[in-house]
Amino acid sequence: MAPTENDIAIVGFAQTAPDRRTQLTEADLVLHATRAVMADIGLDKSEIGFTVSGSCDYLSGQAFSFVQNTDAYGMVPAINESHVEMDGAWALYEAFVRLLQGDIDVAMAVGVGKNSNSDPSTLYTIEFDPYYLTPLGTDTWSLAAMQARALLESGKATERDFAEVVVRNRANAKSNPYAQVSGDFSIDELLAADYVRNPLRLHDLPPTTDQAAAIILARGKRAYDLCDRPAWITGIDHRIEAHLPTVRKDITTSVSTRLAAEGAGAGKAPIEVAEVHAPFGFQELIVAESLGLDASTEINPSGGALASHAVMVAGIIRIGEAANQITKNGKNRTLAHATSGPCLQQNLVCVMEGDQ
Amino acid sequence: MADTVQEFVFNLTFPFTRTLGSTLSTFSSALAQGQIIGVRTGGRVIAPPLEYDPDTAADTGTDWVRVGPKGTVSTWTWVPEPTNLHPLDHAFGFAFITLDGADTPMIHLVDAGSESAMSAGMRVEAKFKAPGDCVGRIDDIIAFVPAADPSLSEGAGEPFEAPEENDITEMDAYCDLTYVDNASPTTTMWAKALMEGRLIGQKCPQCARTIVGPRGMCSVCAIELDESHVIEVADRGVVSNFTIVTPVQYHGQTETEPFVRCSIMLEGADAVIAQQEILDIPASEVRVGMHVECVWAPESERSVEDIDNRSRGSGGDAILGWRLTGEPDEPAELYLDRMM
Repeated sequence: MAPTENDIAIVGFAQTAPDRRTQLTEADLVLHATRAVMADIGLDKSEIGFTVSGSCDYLSGQAFSFVQNTDAYGMVPAINESHVEMDGAWALYEAFVRLLQGDIDVAMAVGVGKNSNSDPSTLYTIEFDPYYLTPLGTDTWSLAAMQARALLESGKATERDFAEVVVRNRANAKSNPYAQVSGDFSIDELLAADYVRNPLRLHDLPPTTDQAAAIILARGKRAYDLCDRPAWITGIDHRIEAHLPTVRKDITTSVSTRLAAEGAGAGKAPIEVAEVHAPFGFQELIVAESLGLDASTEINPSGGALASHAVMVAGIIRIGEAANQITKNGKNRTLAHATSGPCLQQNLVCVMEGDQ
Repeated sequence: MADTVQEFVFNLTFPFTRTLGSTLSTFSSALAQGQIIGVRTGGRVIAPPLEYDPDTAADTGTDWVRVGPKGTVSTWTWVPEPTNLHPLDHAFGFAFITLDGADTPMIHLVDAGSESAMSAGMRVEAKFKAPGDCVGRIDDIIAFVPAADPSLSEGAGEPFEAPEENDITEMDAYCDLTYVDNASPTTTMWAKALMEGRLIGQKCPQCARTIVGPRGMCSVCAIELDESHVIEVADRGVVSNFTIVTPVQYHGQTETEPFVRCSIMLEGADAVIAQQEILDIPASEVRVGMHVECVWAPESERSVEDIDNRSRGSGGDAILGWRLTGEPDEPAELYLDRMM
């Protein structure tokens, strides 16, 4: 395509090696990811018109950690910067919107999370409804497990289907140099494990990961200075549902994913590769159905969020992986999905295309 | 880098008193009396009630409905090992429970004895705390238990007459989270130097600025700095800025009298060391431009146990504070804009 000034592309993506327990700080991780992406495409920090990150103080337990993280940007002279308390995928959305203003042509989106400092079985109680859920210690594993149980009761999937998702993603992750969890497993072997939260077993849960990722976006013809084959964002949308999962009409489907996919124009042409952000393996089944994907789409060649799952980072990595399929792997049309909140509460869909 | 990595365990605890607003006040006041209620909105009964209809965002109003105490499980899970935040100390279930008279489920515990007792469709009933222990919070219901009699709850679906004034309008809430951080390589270097009575910085090979305490990066050039960039800096300098803190007696505050925290530009450094204490003079006499020197704790009493990644640049218990050297002050305007 001949880009107009309003077309925006992903031209660079880098991630740090995922770590179960890093000794580095979040600021260190940000520095490593941002230096890597700039080095990869030959960009100087002075050329970046807008920088935005997604992270959450509660993960590492450090108040104003996002302020300390800005040390890694080199903010002398002062830069144009923003932050979202969300996955870096939503930071990327803000960068996309910022570029549409037309006064700058390069932006950087970052996601960072040092997840190993906190306990995932207790941390997310404070994310939920403070009146009806937090006093009960309602945890994210239990909420996901009840969504999984509802899916089983609906007859749309079986526990074997859940295990198949894990087996396939872990096998795919073997060829991903940035996978924390990968390997060959059998469905029967996985199904023999104990439940952590019935019907979910340990392998159905997201890994705990410390990681950062950075993406460079460019507007119009500027993209070709930085990338031979930019991944043009042809549609990006995100939708959110009620915070109490109990007032959603049917948690075995994802209305917000379907609407975001429609908003991003996902169904206008075939999708060759989709990177789906399913923190709990079975959620891939719900998202794939809600995206309207069929067997012609390859899902999660990277191993998806089961390969590494730093909260605040796993979503933007999906976008980076789907972009890489165009910039480095010759694919023409790919999709990335990111999620946030309990039981797939909020969902973002980004559709990208390469020049043909 | 140290052979073993120092870990820091810290607890994030803060109490909240949440105001409830009219809808939740009505729910809480009824709950404390042993009555669960929902609200009828858009043709369905939402229980527990919300202030706004999730479909239309309309005010849900005051068409209160008695629901429960029995209900039906639609989906569930099992918690084999409860955490410190769960209300029960033995294995239990969580479930979506649609109370009799309600159209939406609520999430609550099911104290079923064993996982095998759980199933979709099971009938359960609320088990309340003793009346004197109920405060109108969702955990006034200890848990739901398998219903002895599966028949419909008496009175469920009937209107609930709310009192003119609710007894309960606030709720105690808390945050209680435990973290385990580990000392980064730069924090480890800084702490080790403090124990030896030295202050160190890192000199950027690109801009030649010296940053104290070490951050592992030049925050001007955005490049990584490591052990090879470490240089020693003087333990004396000039006060570049200060604030007088008048302690408010919030939860956890141990200070009672006004105290000074100042930033010091060390000789040979380009970034200030912040949050330092000035010894021997009253807070009101601290000035920008004062020459000060570090007062180290005796070697045997030094400790860096509280130097974690969050307090980088702090002297921990290795530095007692800073005292005046007696040299004439420097002009304040040379220092006031030095932040970094």
